Amino acid sequence: MAALSFELAPVIAALPFVSFLIALLAGAFAPRLLPKGGAIPGIAATAGSLLLSAWAALAVWNSSEGVYHESITWVAGVGDAAFDLHFGILLDPLSTMMLVIVSLVAVLVHVFSLGYMNDEGETGLPRYYAGLGLFTASMLSFVFASNLLMAFMFFELVGLCSWLLIGFHFREPGPPSAAKKAFLVTRFGDYFFLVGVVGVFATFGTTAFAGSESFPHLAEQVLAGEASATTFLGLDPQAWFAVLGLLVLGGVVGKSAQYPLHTWLPDAMEGPTPVSALIHAATMVAAGVYLVARMYGFYALLPQVLAFIAFVGGFTALFAASMGVVKKELKQVLAYSTISQYGYMMLGLGAGGYVAATFHLMTHAFFKALLFLGAGSVIIAMHHNENMWDMGGLKEKMPVTYYAFLSGSLALAGIVPFSGFWSKDEVLYEALVHGLDSPLLLGAYAMGLLAVFFTGFYTFRMVALTFHGDPRTDTARDPHGVGWNVKLPLVVLGTLAAVAGLVNMVPVAELTGAHLEFLHDWLDAGPEALTAHHYGDLLPYSSGTIGTELTTVLLSAGVSLGLALAGAGLAWKLYAVADPDEHTDKLGSAKTVLFNNYYQDEYQVWIATGLTLPLARAADKFDQGVIDGVVNGVSSVSLLSGSRVKRIQSGVVTNYAFLLTASLVVLLVAIGLIGGWF
Amino acid sequence: MVYQLPPWAALAPTLLFVAVALVLFVIDSINPDTENRLLLAATATAGSLAAAGVSVWYLLAGTGEAPIRLFQNTLVVDTMSLFFAFVFASVTALVVVASYDYMRDHSYQAEYYALVALAASGMTLMPAANSLAVVFISLELSSLPSYALVAILKRNRGSVEAGLKYFLIGALSSSILAYGISLVYAVSGSLLLPQVAEAASVEGLTGVLGIGVLMVLGGFAFKTASVPFHFWAPEAYEGAPAPVSAFLSSASKAAGFAVAFRVFTVAFPVETYVQTAAASIDWVLAVQILAVVTMTLGNFAAATQDTVKRMLAYSSVGHAGYALIGLAALTGGNDQFVLGASMAHLLVYGFMNTGAFLFIALAEYWSVGRTFEDYNGLATRAPFACAAMTVFMFSLAGLPPFGGFASKYLLFAGAVGAGFWWLAAVGAINSALSLYYYSRVVKAMWIEEPSSEFAIESKPVGLYAAIAAAAVATVLLLPGFAPVWEYAQSAAAALVA
Repeated sequence: MAALSFELAPVIAALPFVSFLIALLAGAFAPRLLPKGGAIPGIAATAGSLLLSAWAALAVWNSSEGVYHESITWVAGVGDAAFDLHFGILLDPLSTMMLVIVSLVAVLVHVFSLGYMNDEGETGLPRYYAGLGLFTASMLSFVFASNLLMAFMFFELVGLCSWLLIGFHFREPGPPSAAKKAFLVTRFGDYFFLVGVVGVFATFGTTAFAGSESFPHLAEQVLAGEASATTFLGLDPQAWFAVLGLLVLGGVVGKSAQYPLHTWLPDAMEGPTPVSALIHAATMVAAGVYLVARMYGFYALLPQVLAFIAFVGGFTALFAASMGVVKKELKQVLAYSTISQYGYMMLGLGAGGYVAATFHLMTHAFFKALLFLGAGSVIIAMHHNENMWDMGGLKEKMPVTYYAFLSGSLALAGIVPFSGFWSKDEVLYEALVHGLDSPLLLGAYAMGLLAVFFTGFYTFRMVALTFHGDPRTDTARDPHGVGWNVKLPLVVLGTLAAVAGLVNMVPVAELTGAHLEFLHDWLDAGPEALTAHHYGDLLPYSSGTIGTELTTVLLSAGVSLGLALAGAGLAWKLYAVADPDEHTDKLGSAKTVLFNNYYQDEYQVWIATGLTLPLARAADKFDQGVIDGVVNGVSSVSLLSGSRVKRIQSGVVTNYAFLLTASLVVLLVAIGLIGGWF
Repeated sequence: MVYQLPPWAALAPTLLFVAVALVLFVIDSINPDTENRLLLAATATAGSLAAAGVSVWYLLAGTGEAPIRLFQNTLVVDTMSLFFAFVFASVTALVVVASYDYMRDHSYQAEYYALVALAASGMTLMPAANSLAVVFISLELSSLPSYALVAILKRNRGSVEAGLKYFLIGALSSSILAYGISLVYAVSGSLLLPQVAEAASVEGLTGVLGIGVLMVLGGFAFKTASVPFHFWAPEAYEGAPAPVSAFLSSASKAAGFAVAFRVFTVAFPVETYVQTAAASIDWVLAVQILAVVTMTLGNFAAATQDTVKRMLAYSSVGHAGYALIGLAALTGGNDQFVLGASMAHLLVYGFMNTGAFLFIALAEYWSVGRTFEDYNGLATRAPFACAAMTVFMFSLAGLPPFGGFASKYLLFAGAVGAGFWWLAAVGAINSALSLYYYSRVVKAMWIEEPSSEFAIESKPVGLYAAIAAAAVATVLLLPGFAPVWEYAQSAAAALVA
């Protein structure tokens, strides 16, 4: 049984790919035959993936090694120093958990799309569902990839699909430009990733994630002095591995929208809302963080890189949360909250909280998918008006959406006992205990902690403005109803957002001594080299405590809960009134800065136009003038000398005889002189 | 018990060509005014195909693995001679099939095919020659019919003039070769190649021997149309009937290389002639000079031509330069790779260059005209033939996915491997230049608008069949390059290993 479920693993990704092909081909040649524009094949395929993923997860749990690792060689190396390129599947607790999350969110997004796209009479549905199918297939393949190169290939496909889907409404001006931006900005990061992949190949001769021949394992041995590896730039192994880690991290920063490559994500809201849910909860953005978790055995060896990850994460969490405070549009708030939450995950990973970050990745997938789908439901109701100041009082009109959205919001804000509380608290706890000895980490922790307040504030500002108070427009007074296909995903996700945190209740476990850390056990179930326990041994951190361990846990949980409640309470007081004011106006010029996203876009555009463009012009001038000049010169010289050569061929046979004899004599004399015949 | 063929049967490819020539004579003497073109062409084709088949059979059966020495070691049949026999026989078959249509209105049909068969018999003898006397005779046996073939269009001034020039330059070159042989004989006292090799140790006569070696090289340079012995080539190729041009530029050139490979590796081995201080006769340097000059001059001149046939003539001079790398990159050790690469290139070249000239034959058959402009838009009327020509052009330029890519790549790789990276660099630059003029043809055929109506009345079966066969071979030689490479390597091993 277990073997079969593993054998079927490729089907997990193949099913959505088939639905992509069906939507693409049937959409092009027989659109009438395609039920619901491709939604039905998509739902069937992703549901199949979900079942198979769950089965694979069960099999991983039941198998003795806790892992399934198979690969095929698709390019065999030739020669001595060569290496093979592989496609492979690595199923371990981490990847199967992620497979379940991705396929679950994908199913729900497909179902929701029935309400958001089909019922709203959108055109181009086959294209939409084809994109969703390919997107899901790429992400699933990325998740079970057994090596870095394969991961990179599907990472890129994920990027391509996000471009296709964000730009779905390509006839409007906004979406194509947003799609282009998402593509280019993430590409900028992926460029470093690609260099990193090549570097890993050159250093270790393999990019496998797991096994005795995997690069994290080799790196561990090299640093322990048990093996040697090729390093470049004259760096010692530790420094060179850090360079490799940072290069790969470039792709992560781009995809997971970390500062300073986060600018594409808010613009990506131009895509259809279900796509935003998919991108932000389970696929594109999650890919970056997942990659770090996947090769955590490598990063755990590199203290500088870890500190960097943690600091970038903490900074991004605070930075994005502060911008979320002033946004007017529902999806914009959610976009900044996504950036901020992925910042937490990076903080967790950097602080050595592998389980904590993975936990947050999971809970975030549920509550953020929920919030986006809830926002989609509101947007349907509001006839595609996304401005929160035009809403208000929707609570009575759409109770299912309201309660589901509230569940997600409580999770996002980190209010006990919703899922986000447990995971975010664990991230912050890890940062705190490891940060007591490391000022840098403590700074990251402080930023993360401060961001909790902002998170609570913007979340409940959003809830209050959307659902509470009096309706501020006619649309809000008479919203459009939503169907079962919208409500069902909301109910499922609303439940999960509320209870998913119960799988790893660390504070409760500490308090009662009961064994409640199920996720931790799950992530420890795999092969030794991929377990949280092993990563814990590798990590360079020492833990400090404030008082006893129990007081530290409770203090950390208490402080973050208190801040979340304070932020939420302040927002509630200010905005959950019949007729709220724009209180953020009181921030004065600070609001302008926040509203303009700290002018991040402006400075990046300036870098592009003020720095890159002149540089490109100069390069072009060099290319046109020098390179082309040389090439043109060579060709004109060739033609000229060619015509000279032509003149030798005079047509007079006596000339030929003379030239022939003379050349032979010259050759004879030359060779004779060199050879010393005379 | 398995029946063992007598040793002389190893010469079967040569004997078959001789037999074909004699049969054609018989047919012609019975009925001198025969109008039965089909009978003549079919006889010649059957003979060529039989020769090619026998060569392949011998190669597969491993006949040449242990060299068969005949007539007191003056002839030797080994993998190398069989490999080249296959090249000549297949080119001859293509040429003969194409000639069926091309020569339709000409007189002297039987003589034409008989001369082709005789030249081919001389060519198949050349790689087997193990004595300088046989070298000279076989070379003349292939050259003399060629002079007549170039001039076979007796009423065409171009053809006759080209024939005469070819003959005069050929006579001069033959005299240089004969003189060279006599000088070598004077020092070595033997005409057998293995014994000539021992002449290097003769003290005090290095100059005489050196002049002899270089004059022999000159004689072969004439046959391979290498600069400065190439002057006949553009004129002869342009003036001759296009199938004859194909024959000369592919088979005859390859024969020159075949004999040069054997003579220079067996009679003048690098170890004793070049590297031993007592008798430094650096013919490798001379070949390097010839290779570079030939490549460069051939390609540069080809780039400025106005007529397609003359462009091809110069391009074939350029290709002689590439093939010379096989000799120019010899170092005395590990020579098998580059020598084999050169042989493989000659085989691929045999198909692609013959195909290209046969396309010219087709164009002449249709009276399309001679310049690049005359080919404008030809693809609209004859897409299949133009597609085949495109294959030949790109393969000659050395682009994948055609056979010319693999052979040229390995040839340059061999030169780099032997330490002569600059030879490969010159070759690569010339290849890049060659892409310019080859693509001119492709551009004219496919992209340009037709400037006038083509008077294409029929699609000649023989020409089309020959072109199609050459094109298929050119394409299939890339995926099927492995066996060619294997046999070329064992052919080279017969000489240097």
